[in-house]
Amino acid sequence: MPNSSPHLLIVGGGLAGLSAALHAAERGARISLFSVVPVKRSHSVCAQGGINAAKNLKGEGDSPWIHFDDTIYGGDFLANQPLVKRMCEAAPGIIDLLDRMGVPFNRTPEGLLDFRRFGGTMHHRTAFAGATTGQQLLYALDEQVRRHEASGQVEKFEHWEFLSAVLDDNGVCRGICAMDLRSMEVRTFAADAVIIATGGIGAIFGKSTNSIACTGSAQSALYQQGADYANGEFIQVHPTAIPGEDKLRLMSESARGEGGRVWVPKDGKPWYFLEEWYPKYGNLVPRDVATRAIHKVVYELGLGLDGQPAVYLDLTHIPAHELDIKLGGILEIYEKFVGDDPRKVPMKVFPAMHYTMGGLWVDNEHQATNIPGLFACGECEYQYHGANRLGANSLVSCIFGGAIAGPTAVEYTRASTAAGSPRPFEQEKLRQEEINARLFASEGSENPFVIWKELGRTMTEHCTVIRVNDNLRRADAKLQELLERYRKLGLRDKTRWANPAFFFTRQLYNMLQLARVICLGALARDESRGAHYKPAFAERDDANWLKTTLASFAPDADEPRLRYQPVDISLLPPRPRKY
Amino acid sequence: MSTTATTPVPSGTFARHSYFWRRLHSLTGIVPLGAFLVEHFASNGAVLSRTPVESYGNTVKFLNSLPYVLVLEILLIWAPLAFHGIYGLWIAREATPNNRRYGWLGNWGYLFQRITGAIVLVFIVWHVWTARFAGVSLPDHPFLSYSKMAAQMLNPWILAWFLVGITLVSYHFSYGLYLFAAKWGITVSPGARRNWGWICLIIGLGFTYAGIASALAFRGIHIYPMR
Amino acid sequence: MPANTVRLRIKRQAGPQAPPVWEEFEIPYRPHMNVIVALRDIAENPVTRDGRPTSTIAYEANCLEEVCGACAMVINGRARQACTALVDRLEQPISLEPLHRFPMIRDLQVDRSKLFNDLRRVKAWVPIDGTYALGSGPRQSPQDQEQAYPLSRCISCGNCLEVCPQYNTRTDYVGAAVINQVRLFNLHPTGKMHRAARLDALTGPGGIQECGYAENCVKACPKDIPLTDSIAAVNRQMVGHLWGKALGR
Repeated sequence: MPNSSPHLLIVGGGLAGLSAALHAAERGARISLFSVVPVKRSHSVCAQGGINAAKNLKGEGDSPWIHFDDTIYGGDFLANQPLVKRMCEAAPGIIDLLDRMGVPFNRTPEGLLDFRRFGGTMHHRTAFAGATTGQQLLYALDEQVRRHEASGQVEKFEHWEFLSAVLDDNGVCRGICAMDLRSMEVRTFAADAVIIATGGIGAIFGKSTNSIACTGSAQSALYQQGADYANGEFIQVHPTAIPGEDKLRLMSESARGEGGRVWVPKDGKPWYFLEEWYPKYGNLVPRDVATRAIHKVVYELGLGLDGQPAVYLDLTHIPAHELDIKLGGILEIYEKFVGDDPRKVPMKVFPAMHYTMGGLWVDNEHQATNIPGLFACGECEYQYHGANRLGANSLVSCIFGGAIAGPTAVEYTRASTAAGSPRPFEQEKLRQEEINARLFASEGSENPFVIWKELGRTMTEHCTVIRVNDNLRRADAKLQELLERYRKLGLRDKTRWANPAFFFTRQLYNMLQLARVICLGALARDESRGAHYKPAFAERDDANWLKTTLASFAPDADEPRLRYQPVDISLLPPRPRKY
Repeated sequence: MSTTATTPVPSGTFARHSYFWRRLHSLTGIVPLGAFLVEHFASNGAVLSRTPVESYGNTVKFLNSLPYVLVLEILLIWAPLAFHGIYGLWIAREATPNNRRYGWLGNWGYLFQRITGAIVLVFIVWHVWTARFAGVSLPDHPFLSYSKMAAQMLNPWILAWFLVGITLVSYHFSYGLYLFAAKWGITVSPGARRNWGWICLIIGLGFTYAGIASALAFRGIHIYPMR
Repeated sequence: MPANTVRLRIKRQAGPQAPPVWEEFEIPYRPHMNVIVALRDIAENPVTRDGRPTSTIAYEANCLEEVCGACAMVINGRARQACTALVDRLEQPISLEPLHRFPMIRDLQVDRSKLFNDLRRVKAWVPIDGTYALGSGPRQSPQDQEQAYPLSRCISCGNCLEVCPQYNTRTDYVGAAVINQVRLFNLHPTGKMHRAARLDALTGPGGIQECGYAENCVKACPKDIPLTDSIAAVNRQMVGHLWGKALGR
């Protein structure tokens, strides 16, 4: 590669980051790929059920337009429509690409891709590789990026944590500041453009279906540096997860897609409440709807299993061999962590925080944030899913977002001016090193792990399924208290080599700041839309609230400022959402 | 888009061609060494005759009457033996056994193959030296072979050493057969390996039995009926 | 032993050069605990059993559902994933050690980058022309998919390498996980086209010849990948490949 080729920094090595890397590399960019974990261990591996694309291989008359309609309707009309439409149109091509890369998708007897049903649609639209589709997709992209790594075009910085962007005096992103998670060296890296693909924020909720690395720390750092954060209040709670001490393990929607039924005993008989309440979609209503239904059955009707917050997810009526081929991966998880065989006994599940529809604001075309030179793709940004994400749409949005961000970042570098002085780099490095030094010198009494537990409890209690304004106000007060206590913490382990407590404590601050965005966004939005549900405002209110929440950080007040932006509804007029 | 990976190429012919040497090592264990083992055990079976001095002598005489016997000996026995033995020690040196932690059957097989290899090498060198080179020359006096061996066997320590050597060489060979099939891609499925494993076990037991029967026969102990 | 606490012995090492030391911890028992929960509880209050404050224990973990491969360590003498190691099924005190066959970083954290470098070395990918639209992939029978998928579930945890007596710095052996990937890509209709390059890479130093067939890998694999079958299958391909080459095909 000639030296004049654009140099991109991509932060995050999950599906979106790898997709961006791959597409940018193909356009001649040199890429430095940063990840807190070896990219093959990214959270994308946890995606189970599949990836949506209207290939219409089941003779059902499915089309990208119907996929688009389902996605917009499923997201309760909060998503900007043109980009979603582009995604749905690109989805079949994405599946083809993945297929060509060797993803072992399940097949029909004719050797074609098999598709299954997922929530929020009447069509078989979800391609899958057993029940570890995300893993298989991630591996395929990882392999392709490794190819570019072998040719010298991509350089990986694994076990490096993003700390902040380097912004010049004009507010243009010129690189990043990152920390080696082993030597703990803080370093700045210059680049022609930066792509953020740092995934989810599950850790803010304490226990979720997310991986440990999903702290949202990078997004939050950028938000505190001036990046807008959009629709933060829209948090998806997945209806079916296995409760656990360390995490809530996802039990894929594909279990219901393949015929799994949700029930609780009532009057001595199984009561299939989803099928009764939603005869058309049955167990395959969208996640927000299913989650609220389970919530109601457990907390309002008091019908949780043995009085516990749990319902049955039942696969026992499906032949074991079929289950092994189509759902083997998730059955194995249930067996290993619970000890029961889901082929023989119904699984006990409960809703769990799963996904953030909100994220860094990006424009409607280029995955560009409001900071010039800074792009974002994947779960860390907010496009595509509106107020509620449909199952199996996240993988396609990650890959599609990356496929846009990579090339547009390359385009951007061709038009942008050269970086100026090294001063912003020196300043940023100094700023980050000062934060580290303060943390090392901290001698207070507060324990970061205790603060984190309280954060998780507060957020799970008040910012998930049911939102009540008084509670949200209390929750924000609690978050402010936690931020106050954070300033009084004492880091016990002062080792300056691969110190996990130190890294966690740094991330925790960013989690607390981002938690306030979620909480205050929810407090402000007095309506119910998708995953955001307020009993006091039980209806969707398009007149007042068909708009995107934008949170920007006010450094002086140390809190988010909210403003709103209209939603692009140019393709599909909003209609009531009834399943 | 370039797809050429930059693979680090370590220097040294031996390292660069280690695949070839490893597979040659595996092969020499079967042919010619394994084949020779079959011949050797069969020939030694002559001792089971009612007239062992003559039978045994005739066998030795016949073998030494083969044309180019020295060339055959060097090419088919000494050279492969030296290579298999010395390279085998080199391979064993690379091992980092972990049997106390992982006491699985295959892992013990792995360790024993290396240990038995080393012991068998010592045994064979000793055996070749005492039987072939030291003392009376058998190629020149084939009909003294029986008494030469019988004299050795009279010493209970030497007899025991023979029994150990025979057992270990049988084990090393038959387990080597099992490994050979996997390393040359003959037994790909677990079922194939299991079945082949049983066959190798029977082969190993057969060798042990035949070898011990011959050795004991020198002491007049017959665990196999005389011809 | 009292059922309401959990005892752990953890092998600590402050850094690559530091001497290893064992520390003992006792923490309250909770139902359905796994080793990760225990490590997190210790992190909250890192005090040893005899009341001595200590540093936080470094370990790698991410997904906690045994699909990312991060949390491999030696638990009660066995290489396995910490997330699926349920305390109820472990003898106490539970001993935790780092994987031995990889360079030490800190405590239970080791450097497994060799595994990823070796994947690069054997060209473990399907060589596609580009990401632009080139139509659908090759058709494959469900049977072929059912053969490929289990091989593709390798999480690169390194347990198969940890238990392999041949995996060390003397051999530079690539190990079962990498050979299994060669088999996977040689099975794929497009991947097959670069079969020769992959097999050649496996005849180099540390290649497939280093396998001593102790068959430990397949026993240690948390994903039940038929690793010994894969090694034998690649050996079979190798015989054909090299004979073909030797005879000038």
